[in-house]
Amino acid sequence: MSVLDNIYEKAKANPQKVAFPEAENEKMMQAAYECGQEGYIVPILVGDASKIRELIAERGYEESVFTIIDIGNEDYKNDIIAKYVALPQTVLKEKALGRRMENPLYYAMAMQAVGEADVTFAGIDNTTGDVLLAGQMIIGLKEGISTVSSIGLCDIPGFEGSEGQLLAVGDSAVCTNPSAEQLADIAISACDTVKGLLDWQPRCAMVCYSTLGSGQGELIDKVKEALAIANEKRPDLDIDGEFQLDAAIVPAVAAKKVNRESKVAGKANVLIWPDLNVGNTAVKLIQQFGHADAYGPMLQGFNSIVCDCSRGAPVSEIKGNVIISAVRALGAKRDC
Amino acid sequence: MDRKELESQIIEMVAKCYSVDAANLSMETTFKDDLKGASVLMVGLVSEIENELDAMIALQDAAACATIGELVDKVEEEL
Repeated sequence: MSVLDNIYEKAKANPQKVAFPEAENEKMMQAAYECGQEGYIVPILVGDASKIRELIAERGYEESVFTIIDIGNEDYKNDIIAKYVALPQTVLKEKALGRRMENPLYYAMAMQAVGEADVTFAGIDNTTGDVLLAGQMIIGLKEGISTVSSIGLCDIPGFEGSEGQLLAVGDSAVCTNPSAEQLADIAISACDTVKGLLDWQPRCAMVCYSTLGSGQGELIDKVKEALAIANEKRPDLDIDGEFQLDAAIVPAVAAKKVNRESKVAGKANVLIWPDLNVGNTAVKLIQQFGHADAYGPMLQGFNSIVCDCSRGAPVSEIKGNVIISAVRALGAKRDC
Repeated sequence: MDRKELESQIIEMVAKCYSVDAANLSMETTFKDDLKGASVLMVGLVSEIENELDAMIALQDAAACATIGELVDKVEEEL
């Protein structure tokens, strides 16, 4: 069974409530409909209810597949606002939230924050920046995490790693030039993400051009500092380094270069890049030369699951990402 | 609200969001070099301004301000 088949099965066994604030968008509505009709999620369309109903009919979908939330319904909106402002550590007060909720993206996230939805899925009409800002403002970041970041899941034909062909890598999409503190947070979030989605025991390697002091310089110093911070913040996680990529994933190379005990060297299932120049290039190398499928980017660091898709994404890709985000939400609930 | 009052309110908000002493802040304090905060702190500041002053500043506009003084200018335009 492929990794996606496994994830799809988990989604079907326990469908999560996914809010779609870009409900009128044709591709988004189709993806929401197919995911809902096939039993992977409970799709919630958030927006102008009469317009949404009109489009559902026009496009020939069964309305019963969806839950429709009308952002013009003042009673429901006020109920969400009251629950939201009663939550600890929220940044917006009643009036400011009410105004923000005129935008369906913020409305959906406020629903998620109070438990009326498990995931907000957007990004086809809104920019990544819009989604990240709304996520940070309404959902907030996990305690102790200072940055939003992302990981991708690579399925690499012929790769024989500790999880078979699969390897999680991050951050290849969001955090451009992380400080040591942010790099530590990316590693911690990545471990939590793979645990939630794949049930892996994460073995996370901080990679760069040095293995345990074989190289020197400020670029390596940052990675070492990040490792120290990550280990101090989360001693329960197996995060180790600094390793070159081969020492992280190839047991024979690790045996040669890593002359100390390590739960990670040679068998890492999560790789953390030192910055986005490396991360973005590395993923493209894996895709181009390794002929890999790369799933994601999966946003991480938020209090609950926020998902951004590419604005040019086809329906099939949107569906895959919706289902992955639903399973992440399920995993996050379980790990709470 | 006059300019001085606005400056003093925003300095208090910056101090709260960035966990620094307001006495060490001025209109010339820079976000990048002096405060060195993560972007999430700016999100908190923008939210605080929205809550307390009823001025909705886009995050990208706030993030483009080099100093607290420039941010006050932006808020003043919105009020």
